[in-house]
Amino acid sequence: MSFYSDSEFPVRDDLADAHAAQFERFARAGTWGSGAQRLAVISEARQSCIDGGMLEAPEDGGAVPDVDLPEDVRAIIRCLAASPKDFDMTTYQRARDAGLRDPEFAELVAIVSFVVNLDVFARGTGVRLRPFAEPQPGTPSRELPVEAVPEQAFVPTIPNPPEGGALARELYGPFKPYIMRALSIVPDEFRAHVELEQAQYVLLPKIMDFGYNHHEGLTRPQVEVVAGRVSAINDCFY
Amino acid sequence: MRPELDTGVPSGDLLLEFAAAIIGTDLAALDKARTALAEALGPAAVSGASAVAANFSKNDRVANGIGIPVDDMVFKGTEDLREQLGLNAYKSAENTFRHL
Repeated sequence: MSFYSDSEFPVRDDLADAHAAQFERFARAGTWGSGAQRLAVISEARQSCIDGGMLEAPEDGGAVPDVDLPEDVRAIIRCLAASPKDFDMTTYQRARDAGLRDPEFAELVAIVSFVVNLDVFARGTGVRLRPFAEPQPGTPSRELPVEAVPEQAFVPTIPNPPEGGALARELYGPFKPYIMRALSIVPDEFRAHVELEQAQYVLLPKIMDFGYNHHEGLTRPQVEVVAGRVSAINDCFY
Repeated sequence: MRPELDTGVPSGDLLLEFAAAIIGTDLAALDKARTALAEALGPAAVSGASAVAANFSKNDRVANGIGIPVDDMVFKGTEDLREQLGLNAYKSAENTFRHL
């Protein structure tokens, strides 16, 4: 059964599957956070959007976190989730001051961004927000790629080939723009980012094929109108 | 933003309304925009537009959150466009300009 079987609008199977996979991985231990910690982060993100009027509170939000995040970290999550235009280097510095190391910070940015993504989709199609799954036991992998180096972002990133080496070739192919490389210090989150991108926007090998229509009922120019408007409202220069 | 400008894209006005409403705080406006979009472009376009809006809600947060600059190939050659659209005034522009 589709993850969005309750939608009155048809949702492609690959898109529904990609979203279902994200909700499932939220509940598992990540690279740096436990399942319980990840649930606390995404719960804070969702609640901040509800408090900001951008989401409607569901009757059943699913699992409830039992991890208390420090207030400094909660403030950072709230800013990113509900007011991304205000997130800047000062906010990142506050994250470091709160004790978050760069890969932990990147994982936090990833899952906050992903849960907002999934909730926006639900809101757009008029379905209830998907309930969070109970966190699973397990230990974070703590995989830290040595290839990640200081470049131009707040956190280290894996350069494109050849500087990024074999791992860069595996993750990126010959090249990826910075928006795709941004989360590369946490390769699992990079992979999730790519999976969502391909399901929701366009298959990456087709990105320069402006005649290719990834979504039924929408041409590529129509897709770009939606993308541009959202990013303008979020004051996203990139 | 300048809603009076023609996007040059079929149903561009409806897509703009939907994109703004999906990340806005007015549920009634979203419901209205969704219905109008479905009537104009078909029901699959609603999930398509929702997916795109969701995707860029993700990307905007990743970009601003990680502080990435615009790639050189895009930055070069867009000076006029950025000026016309007022993009240089965005707070997140500092993530690019601090490297210049």
